[in-house]
Amino acid sequence: MIDLDSVVSHSPDIVTRKTGNEYVLVPLANNIADMNRLFTLNESGAFIWELIDGEKNIREIVERFTEEFDIESETATRDVLAFMENMSNYLIIRL
Amino acid sequence: MREYNLNIAGYNIRLESYDDGPELVPDERFHLNIIPRSDYDVRIRVHHGIFRPGEDSERLFVAPYLVEIKGYKLSRCENFWSVYKENGDMLLTTNFPESISNKRATLKFSLTLREWDLYLENAGFETDPLEYPLDGLILYYLTAIKADIMIHASGVYYGGKGYLFSGISGKGKTTMSKLWDNVGAQVIHDDRLIIRNTDGVYRMYNTPVNRNDGPREAPLTKIFFIEHGSENELYPLREASAVSYVVANSIQHNYSPDMIARFLGSVSMMCSKVPIATLSFRPDRSIIEYLLRNE
Repeated sequence: MIDLDSVVSHSPDIVTRKTGNEYVLVPLANNIADMNRLFTLNESGAFIWELIDGEKNIREIVERFTEEFDIESETATRDVLAFMENMSNYLIIRL
Repeated sequence: MREYNLNIAGYNIRLESYDDGPELVPDERFHLNIIPRSDYDVRIRVHHGIFRPGEDSERLFVAPYLVEIKGYKLSRCENFWSVYKENGDMLLTTNFPESISNKRATLKFSLTLREWDLYLENAGFETDPLEYPLDGLILYYLTAIKADIMIHASGVYYGGKGYLFSGISGKGKTTMSKLWDNVGAQVIHDDRLIIRNTDGVYRMYNTPVNRNDGPREAPLTKIFFIEHGSENELYPLREASAVSYVVANSIQHNYSPDMIARFLGSVSMMCSKVPIATLSFRPDRSIIEYLLRNE
């Protein structure tokens, strides 16, 4: 269960490439690239991704996201938590 | 013959067979690729014999033999070819589903060295050392070594510009190449291309995997990811979207994070230099007029 106190980190089974302000994420299965399950992150997704370091909790990430994109805290919280849920469901990040 | 060189996609491949090997008889589709040279990017020494991965080898990848019938992929053999890692070398073992003898092969190769060895069982007195699937697999590993890109695509050269049309089977690659052919364009290939970067300039090359046209190449000006539609419409792709489309349509058997990272780097660099777009097209001459108008 992901909540604002959760600390998340990148899955070790992902190869990433930053292109411009976006990311391409390639999941691995037994060290083999699963090209049918590519993910792309837009600028805001890329910003969240780069804050995930296995040390900050989600509350801290929401605060940084709110400042960066100048949006209401409630909106930022909803968006960041939804991002984390999605990434967790696809095993891109882990608790 | 006992030795010859092939120019395929600008790669200079030398094949040699000595006393312990068969007579080399390249298939007719390679005849226009034979070049009178003895230097090489990679040299493949061909031997009769059995070479099996050892007990310490690590199996990295196994490919099933699939046939496609009316758009459906059916598996006919679970173990078609496999890649192993053994003592710093790579081993590729394969059967030959289109061969009537029980021919088998092991290619011992390296991603850093230029000397490779090909061991053939039941190959007979004479053989084509690049019989399918070795042709495509050797080309694939050369693209991996050189950080090039192999992609499902047709390519045409017209008016000083090279256009690449990519998509999975049925999306219109061959249709598109025929339309351009009808207006006098040079068709580089209608199914599979290799993209290479030479001194910052991107070029596309044909491959003799299915055809026997001889070497063809052209500068790469634009890339389109195509599908049939009721109207001609293109939408530019940028950054991560562009990279993901190229990656999804490329031919790759990447089995390590390093290889994947290197491949993503090549694709990303190309996407920063070559314009990319999705293209919905009507299968008639109007698409050519549309693309030329939108230059």
